[in-house]
Formats: sequence, C-alpha cells, structure tokens
Amino acid sequence: MLLIANVFKKASKIALPLFLLFVTAVPAMAEGPTPPSSLSNPFVTLMVIIILFLAIIIFMMGRLVIGSGGLYLERWKKETEETKKNSAAPVVTTIVLLLLSVQVFAQDSTAPAPAAASASDNFGGISSTAYYLLCSVVFVELLLIAVLLYMLRVFAGIQKKKKAIVAATNTAAVKSAVPELSWWDRFNALKPIHQEVNIDLGHDYDGIRELDNKLPPWWLYGFFLTIIFAGVYLYSHYVSHTAMSGIEEYEASVKQADIEKTEYLKKSANNIDETTVKLLTADADIAAGKAVFQVSCFPCHGKNGEGIVGPNLTDDYWIHGGSIQDIFKTLKYGWADKGMKSWKDDFSPVQLAQIASYVKSLRGTNPANAKAAQGTLYTEAGSAAPAATDSTKTKKAS
Amino acid sequence: MQVEKFYYDNKTVKMFAYAVLLWGIVGMLAGLWVAIALYYPSINLGFAPTTFGRMRPVHTNAVIFAFVGNGIFMGIYYSLQRLCKTRMFSDVLSKIHFWGWQLIIVAGALTLWTGHTSGKEYAELEWPIDIAIALVWVVFGINMFGTILKRRESHIYVAIWFYIATWVTVAMLHIVNSLELPISFLKSYSMYAGVQDALVQWWYGHNAVAFFLTTPYLGLMYYFLPKAANRPIYSYRLSIIHFWALIFIYIWAGPHHLLYTALPDWAQSLGVVFSIMLIAPSWGGMLNGLFTLRGAWDKVREEPVLKFLVVAITCYGMATFEGPMLSLKSVNAISHFTDWTIAHVHVGALGWNGFLTFGVLYWIIPKMWNTTLYSKKLAGTHFWTGTIGIILYVIPMYWAGFTQSMMWKTFTEEGQLKFQFLETVTHIVPMYAVRSIGGALYLVGAFIMVYNLIKTVQQGSFVADEAAEAPALEKNIVPHSKEYWHRWIEKRPMQMLVFSLIAVAIGGVVELIPTFLVKSNIPTISSVKPYTPLELHGRDVYIREGCYLCHSQMVRPFRDEVARYGEYSKAGEFVYDHPFQWGSKRTGPDLARVGGKYPDSWHYNHMMDPQSMSPGSIMPSYPWLYEDEVDTLLTPKMIWAMRKLGVPYAEGYEYKANDDLRQQEQKIVTSLKGDKINGVNGKPINNKSIVALIAYLQRIGMDIKSAPKAQTAQSGQGVMGN
Repeated sequence: MLLIANVFKKASKIALPLFLLFVTAVPAMAEGPTPPSSLSNPFVTLMVIIILFLAIIIFMMGRLVIGSGGLYLERWKKETEETKKNSAAPVVTTIVLLLLSVQVFAQDSTAPAPAAASASDNFGGISSTAYYLLCSVVFVELLLIAVLLYMLRVFAGIQKKKKAIVAATNTAAVKSAVPELSWWDRFNALKPIHQEVNIDLGHDYDGIRELDNKLPPWWLYGFFLTIIFAGVYLYSHYVSHTAMSGIEEYEASVKQADIEKTEYLKKSANNIDETTVKLLTADADIAAGKAVFQVSCFPCHGKNGEGIVGPNLTDDYWIHGGSIQDIFKTLKYGWADKGMKSWKDDFSPVQLAQIASYVKSLRGTNPANAKAAQGTLYTEAGSAAPAATDSTKTKKAS
Repeated sequence: MQVEKFYYDNKTVKMFAYAVLLWGIVGMLAGLWVAIALYYPSINLGFAPTTFGRMRPVHTNAVIFAFVGNGIFMGIYYSLQRLCKTRMFSDVLSKIHFWGWQLIIVAGALTLWTGHTSGKEYAELEWPIDIAIALVWVVFGINMFGTILKRRESHIYVAIWFYIATWVTVAMLHIVNSLELPISFLKSYSMYAGVQDALVQWWYGHNAVAFFLTTPYLGLMYYFLPKAANRPIYSYRLSIIHFWALIFIYIWAGPHHLLYTALPDWAQSLGVVFSIMLIAPSWGGMLNGLFTLRGAWDKVREEPVLKFLVVAITCYGMATFEGPMLSLKSVNAISHFTDWTIAHVHVGALGWNGFLTFGVLYWIIPKMWNTTLYSKKLAGTHFWTGTIGIILYVIPMYWAGFTQSMMWKTFTEEGQLKFQFLETVTHIVPMYAVRSIGGALYLVGAFIMVYNLIKTVQQGSFVADEAAEAPALEKNIVPHSKEYWHRWIEKRPMQMLVFSLIAVAIGGVVELIPTFLVKSNIPTISSVKPYTPLELHGRDVYIREGCYLCHSQMVRPFRDEVARYGEYSKAGEFVYDHPFQWGSKRTGPDLARVGGKYPDSWHYNHMMDPQSMSPGSIMPSYPWLYEDEVDTLLTPKMIWAMRKLGVPYAEGYEYKANDDLRQQEQKIVTSLKGDKINGVNGKPINNKSIVALIAYLQRIGMDIKSAPKAQTAQSGQGVMGN
C-alpha cells in the first residue's frame, strides 16, 4: 500500500507541472489566431485570465488533496497494523481511488491541447471552434475543481470521524501527529511556528536568525509560469509570427477604422466631400462654423478673418480657390507647405462645411487691420463684379 | 577564543539621518510646488528657476538622490557595522563621503535651478557633478568593502549582498549613462544619439529605480524588519533565489519604458518578457518580509516602526506587480505618457521608500540616543496622515491617467478625434488639485515626524561611539551542520562583487551592443539633416527649460496619435539628437511634428502668454526668453562637439556657423515683422533665446515631411522587419 502511495506521489509530481504547462499552452495557442494582438480581443483575454486563474486554483487544491490524502494513507496503515481492524481497508481503497482520479482528470484536461494546436492554423478571429475550445477548457477546469472540492470534503470527513474515534476511545498512544495547519499555511507551505526550531539554520547576524523554510509553492510555480509566458511571447513574435509587431497593429487598426467609418458614413447625413458640398446659409450652421473658427482658426487668420499669418479671408483674392468646394478641400486636406494644416481628423465633414460656409460669409466685411490681398482674383460663378463693398455681401451664389 | 572590544560609529549615522530629514522636507516641498504648478502655473512668479521645467528635476533629484540616497547611507552605515561586528573601515572616508554627498546635492540643486542640465531624466546633473558623484561613490565603496573585509563575522548576511550589488551596479549605470562631451564648464552633449541614447537612458533610468530605490532598501528591510519584530528571517533559500534572480532579471527590463517607440521591436519585446519574469523575484522580497512577521502581527498593531515597515513592504509588492502589468504592450498603450505612471512611481516612492525610511528613523534614533520614542501616538498620527496622503495622491492620478488616455483615443463615428488635446488637459485639472492635497498631507506627516524625532533627541543622550564586543574571526570555520552551497560565496565578498557585476552586465550587453553595432536597427533616412547652428542653440534652450518634462517627441504608431500629430516617428529621424528628447510624460501635446504646424508668430505669442493662443492651457509663460541672449561665442564649440560625436558638419564649418545663424535669425525676425511683431518694448529681438527656440520648434519633425513618400515608407518597413 505504501509503495503504491509513493509511486503515485512521484507520478503526481511530474503530472501536475505537466498539466499546468498544458493549461498554459492552451490559451497561448488559442491566442494565436486572433488577428489584432491576442490580448486585444477582450473575450479571449478574459477567458485566458480565467483559465490561468482556475489552473492555479486546481494546482493548489491538488497539492492539498494529495498532501492530506497521503498523510491519511500512512496513518490509516499504521492504525490498521496496530488495531488489526478490517474496517480500515475500504477507507484506504477509497483514498487510493480518489487519488487516482486526480490523475485521470489531469489527463482529461490535457486532452484539448493537441486539438487546439491543430485547429489554431485555420481560424482568423475568434471562430466557433476557438470559442468552444476556450469554454471547454474552463468547463473541464471547473469540473476538476468540483471533484477536488468533493475529495477535500471526504478527507475532512475522515479527519472528523478520526478525531471522534480518538476522543471516544481516548487512546493516549495516538496523539495527533498531524499539525493543525490553516489553508493559508498549506497554501504557502508554512511550518507551524512551534516547529521553527527544527528549521533554524543557526545563523546569527547581530541577533538575526534565519529559517530554512521552503519556497512558497505558488510563488515558485508562478515564477515558472512567467518564464513560460516569456517563451510563448518571444516564440509568437519571432518564430511563428502569429503576434503582430507594433506597426502591424497600427496598420490593422487603421484599416478597421476605415471600414467602420465608411460603413457609418454610408448611412449618415455626414457623407459630404469636396465634390458634393453645398453652401450652408442657415444661421445655426453659420454660428457653428463661427464657433469653431474662433477657437481653431483665429491664431493665423485673425478673429474676423482679416489675416495674420494666414491670408485675409474677407477679400476676393484666393490662393487655392474661393468656391465653397475649394475652401472645403483646403480645410479638409490642408496645404502643408504653406502652413495650413489638414483638419479632417479634427472636424467632421458637416463641421468642415459649416466652417467653409462661415468663411464664405465673411466676404466683403472689411475688418480692421486687413491683410493685403494674396493669390488670384476669384469670381463666383454667376455673380457679376468682384465684391468691394458691404452692399455685395448679400450676393451669394450656388 | 578571545573577545575583542570595539566601538560602532554612530556619529556618521546621525549626520546622514539629519540629512535625510532635511532633504526629505526639501524634496517633498519641491514636489508640492510642481504639483500645484500643474493647475496654477503662475506659481512660478515669473521666475525661470521656479518654473515647472526646472523645479521638476529639482524635486526628482532631491527625493531620489538626497532623501533616499542619504537614507541608504544612513541605513548601511548603521547596519553594516553591526552585521560585520566592526567599526566602519575609516572615519575619514565616512566624513568625506558624507560631506561630499551633501555638496553634490547642493551643487545639483543650484545648477538645476540655473538651467544647467544634461536633459536626461534622473541624470540631469552636468559633467563636473557627474565626476564628483563617481568619486564619492568610490569613497563609499572603499569604506564599505574595507568594513566588510575586516569583519568579525565569518559570513556576510543577505542585507550585505544587496549592498554590494547596489554599489557595483549603480557605478556601472552612472558611468555608462553619463558619458558626455563637455563644451564648457557646465554644458555637455551626450555621447549617444537618438534611439541609442534613449536605450542607454532608460537602461539607466529603469535600473536607477532597481538599484538605487529597490535593492539597497531591500537590504535595509532585511536588517531592520527582523530586528524590530524580533523574528527570524522566514526563508534563507528564498533570500538566495530572489536576490540572484532579481539582480539578473531587473537589468533587462529597461526597454519597457520605450514600448511602441522607434526602439527596435526585439529590444521592446525583451523589455516586456523580462518585466513579467520580474514579478516573482520582486515578490520574493515582499514574502520574505511579510512572512518574517509571522507570529509578530500583534506587535505590528503596537509598534510604529513595524506599521511603517508593513505598509512599505505592501506598497513594494503592489508597485512591483503593477510595473510588470504596465510593461504589457496593451496596457502600456493606455498608461504611457499619462499620470498613471506618476501614480505608479509614487506608490513606490511614498509607500516603499518613504515609509521604510520613516520606519528606520523611528527605530535608530531612540536607539542611538539611548532612549525611547518621544511619542508613539504622534508616530501613529504620522502613519495615518501619510497613508491617507498616499491614497489621496495616487487615486486621482490613476483616474486622471486612465481618463486622459481614453479621451486621447476616442474617435467620433465620422472618424474624427473627439477631443482636442487641450480639452483632455482641462478635464483632469481637478484631479491635479486633489493630488496636491494628498501630497500636502504626506508632507504634514513628515513634519510631525521631524517634531517627534527632535523631541526624542532632546530627551536622550547621544552615544557617539557605541561599545560592542565580539570574538575575533577565526581563520578556519568548521560548519556545525550541513552547509548550503551558497555559504561558499558568503565568505567571499570580492567574489560576490564580481558575480553580481557579471549578473547585471549580461542584460545590458545583450541589449545595448546590437543597438549600437547592427545598422538595420536604425535605418537611415537620407532627408534627415543636421540641425542648423540657430536650431542647435534653440535645442539647448529647449533642454535648459526642461520642455521634455511635459512634451514628448515621439509619435507612437497608434491611429489616434497619427491623426493628432502626424506620421509616427522613425528611428532614423533622431540620429543627430544628442541627447534624445523623446520625453516620458505628455502633460502638453507631443511636439515630434510641431515644425511648420504654426506660424512663427504663434510660437512667439504662445511662449509669452500660452493662454492667449490656447485658452485654458496650464503651460507657464516664459518671459525671460525675450531678454536672454544666445551665446554665439559658443557656436564654434557646439559645432565642433557635434562633429566629434558623429554629426556630419563640414570641416571648418564652425567658423562660418554664426553667419548662417544670423541669416536664419533674420528670416524669423522678418516673418515676425510680417505679423506685426517688431520686438520687445521697441528693442529688436535679434539674438534673443526666443528666436533660437522658434527656429528649433519649427524644425522638429520637418525632415521626414520633405522626404519622398516611398523612402519613409521603406524605412518604416525596415523598422518592422526587426
């Protein structure tokens, strides 16, 4: 019986890290097929985090179950030898069976991994397969936790029963050799304080002593996990090229944004460009254009469009054309070489049309400090003479 | 076995403790000042030295090198003597060390206030001070190793491992990052340019955090925590593993400060993965601290020293988990350049360094004055004021950082940026105000501590030379039980020094050397030309005023940044930038493509009164730039230095440079005249700093705009290929 337990313990030592490795490998592979960086798909990210989190829980619980199971196995063996009670046998069998089932489940949960590997090449985006894969991993993990919980309860039950027997029979010989350890102590592999003497290393530095406690298991395996992460990260960037570089991410996001923008504009009244723009005359539109002008345009063109660095916008001379279409185009694309920036990323097409219409409305206002005319004379199609006075202000075409 | 009598030197420890208190208050006051400047820019009172761009380096340098620096020395001088059972190696060296370091601090503050800076964050001090730092550091090293070598303990304790690693790594970082070519007594140019300079700088900057703010303080924790709690160190094995893993891995993580920049992709990836692998080694220190308190938690409730230490260690744990998370590219895309980073570093600075220093002070001062703490209650008040201060500091900053980043990235459905940059700033100004309240509370706590400690000092009597005795060190030590393999090196401090140096050198070598030697890492762009003499002068003004502390020069390849600023930055654009000016915070907008965006007159008016051009702006005004003159006598020296550093100016150009400078100046003056700006108070503006600054601003990012489209695209792919 002891031999079996030992063999099992050894096997579990190998199996658990392996299992952990597979659990981490699954999300890593599932991450591969998502297009804009694995982490940018919120669902995948969430699932991966859940999977990792559950894996750690399973691992810790597994240790607990194995630890307590092994202990009881030995104790029951001793007791059976001492008391020669037959009733011990079934309990031992139960324990062994339960312990073995950990193995079985551990193997179970590794099963999806190869599937993920073969599937990963074929899916762009989070396909249904990837979805079910992620879900099934979570499901298997939850199942495992349930089983482990059940096993822990069984052992706890045995412990209670055992204590009751000890208390009842009051056998002085069998004093509890099992120390009382909280889940926290087990989780961190902490020794009970009264046993500290046994692990005192005898160092004394100005009165400071040192203990030889084991590394907290979750810390150690966490460290291994981060190393695995590093390997997967570098592999996916430089070997398999499933992860994108910064520049590729950028290009993908711009492409995606363009698609969304086109889709939106198709359905929207905002779909105006330099060929379709019309002069707006409604007061609300002119006021909206003016509001933007007073914030964004005045440093170069003056509060009243009189021109500072930029040209005067109130006269009939235009460097890049004075029609509503021309002005719209100038606003939209800018003339970078002359200091006019492109505003298409700052304002919507409707706003650009409003600004252009406001600018058109400035014609002939003769503001103070007006800058000298630049560019060529522009005559509005359909209007007669160039405007010079206020009286022509109302003349508007198209 | 003969017992020897000797005396511990408490006097040097006392001096360092006083320095900690003084510089701590000064550094925090400077911090409060810059915090207020962010919502009330006219706090500078119109003076250059009190403006954000100059006060901020004063704050960071004072807190890091003066407050924490003296804290390190205070803790080491106290603990090292006791751990080695001997007096410090030399009282003279202790004195030179103490006064040398204080002189460096004073010189540093004065030069920073007067605008003498190398323009590299946390390494701003100019070359004569850099040399002084190196010399004092060597004095400290001799004193420390002398003490270790004459110890009466056979083995060196884990705290001393950390001291040794700190000493050797800081020496390496400081020397490599400070290599610069002087052109005058207080002016020099970094040896490195652009991407390479950025990598060296953040290799240094990141590891200054690691080896100046972290490892020496872990050493202090390993001494003062078990002493104060009277508990054994939880795990010797953990000490060994986390020590070696920490120093080996830390050094690689520097590039996580440069994610999505023009730094080669492979270097960024190394930064990411090593940051993630850093979680466990960092937490090893936290666990060894917190588990050492097992069985002593009842004392934590009573003892102020332990309260401070526990919060310090907890903050260390939080900051060292958050750091790796911020190094993930997807998180970094949100956090970088925002106040999130500021919140993160202040969890470390206020929590870990600040509280640990306070804990140590509360421990050693009563000890050295042979008395008890004047008031535990006041210490408790300090603890709570400080804790609430930290919370009020960091929460608004996390909020501000996240909110602003989200606003930057928001597009309307039509595909336009939803918020102008200025809107995202004015939106978070209330958070800045709350942050300064948190900082003020923390400072109030520090004042309470100073009062408490003064009272303690008054009620005790100082023991300058503390008597102690220990048996002399035997030549051959017979281990009393099975020995750990690691015990071997614990008897050999020099080997410890060498192995630490090897451990920290590897990461630097692997990351730095290829970036310098492999040409494909920085694809050249033929249209990128050296700066004109006037632009060089303007660049010096830009560096002098600390513009890089609020403005980045790095457009990352994000849709929103390209829409807002222009084409993303390429490695080849920065080859003549000695030093690089990418910045690490965007309190104001990025300037990488500001050239040609506004007319000269806009800049002229904006620097005079930023609110006139951008209503609501929190930028201070720079009236002195309209009085200061550019030192044209320096021009030949500047050109010469740049050519030495590899910038292709023709031989003999230094003698013609000032003619070009005049011409370009005249062009700007003419363009300003065209916009009805005729000079300050009727005086001509030729030769004023503002003209040079405008020349530089109008140049930034222009080279690539004039390049043929195909070429920039190609160089973009070159970057991608890496």
